[in-house]
Amino acid sequence: MNFLSLFVRNLLHGPYTDPFPFAPAPTAARFRGKVAFDPETCEACRKCERACPTGAIRFERTPEGMTFDCWHDTCVFCGNCVFHCPTGAIEQTGDWHLAHLQAEKYRQVEHGLIPAIVCSSCGGKGLDSAPAIAKIKPPLSPDEAKELRSLCPKCRAKFLKQRRQSA
Amino acid sequence: MTMLQKFKDIAVRSPWIYRINAGSCNGCDVEMATTALIPRYDVERLGCQYCGSPRHADIVLISGPLTRHVVDAARRVFDEIPDPKVTVAVGVCPISGGIFRESYAVLAPIDDYFPIDVNVPGCPPRPQAIIEGIAQAIQVWRQRL
Repeated sequence: MNFLSLFVRNLLHGPYTDPFPFAPAPTAARFRGKVAFDPETCEACRKCERACPTGAIRFERTPEGMTFDCWHDTCVFCGNCVFHCPTGAIEQTGDWHLAHLQAEKYRQVEHGLIPAIVCSSCGGKGLDSAPAIAKIKPPLSPDEAKELRSLCPKCRAKFLKQRRQSA
Repeated sequence: MTMLQKFKDIAVRSPWIYRINAGSCNGCDVEMATTALIPRYDVERLGCQYCGSPRHADIVLISGPLTRHVVDAARRVFDEIPDPKVTVAVGVCPISGGIFRESYAVLAPIDDYFPIDVNVPGCPPRPQAIIEGIAQAIQVWRQRL
């Protein structure tokens, strides 16, 4: 009897084989795939570069600003960078379609640029990175955050000190 | 000539696969075995079959970062595989060294020692990614044969 019920169930279910190369494959919602980077929300703290066990993530200072590069061919998809990112600028997508020909080996890179800016207060060099404001109390208004973003690191510290004293 | 072409057309439908473990941690090897043996993934739908002897192989899957100890043996086995062959590097270890990059004990990247055609990154790559890599390897093999 048990055999018959199994037989009927398998008959109704059809083949269990994943039809992958001819149809899309199911992917788990929290699948750890290709790294994606958002330069808008990045603080340029470089914690991900430090946390990366394989050295896949590399920041570099250039005249245009700070560049972010993650080479998918050496990334082990451990998720340490995502865990340590304070702003969620780096995240893992569900994309695992990474097989490629040898000629494209060194093009498997996630690239981002945090542009360089001139400080609106002192005219010095700065980066258009998101300010580290997660723990500041009282929370910054959007206008204040925007102003803070246009400053160099020294002027940012000055701004926050003044704000603390006036509060 | 036409007879030869006929044989080529038949042969291109069923490449045989051989695995070389060049110092792998066994993670990628398990995934490769899964790809072939478990009905859910079943790489034999593409006409592929794992073979036990390197002399029967058409597509070679290499896993592992090519440790110093294994390089001679891997080279010997690789040379036994008849041409034309297609080489697939499975996992990040053979491609770049991955977690073992710049270690004194490994010689990765493997493309300094073996002519690699297709790369399948992942640590380990999921079985579907390996199937995708094998599908690309079959395309390469079709051109080469």
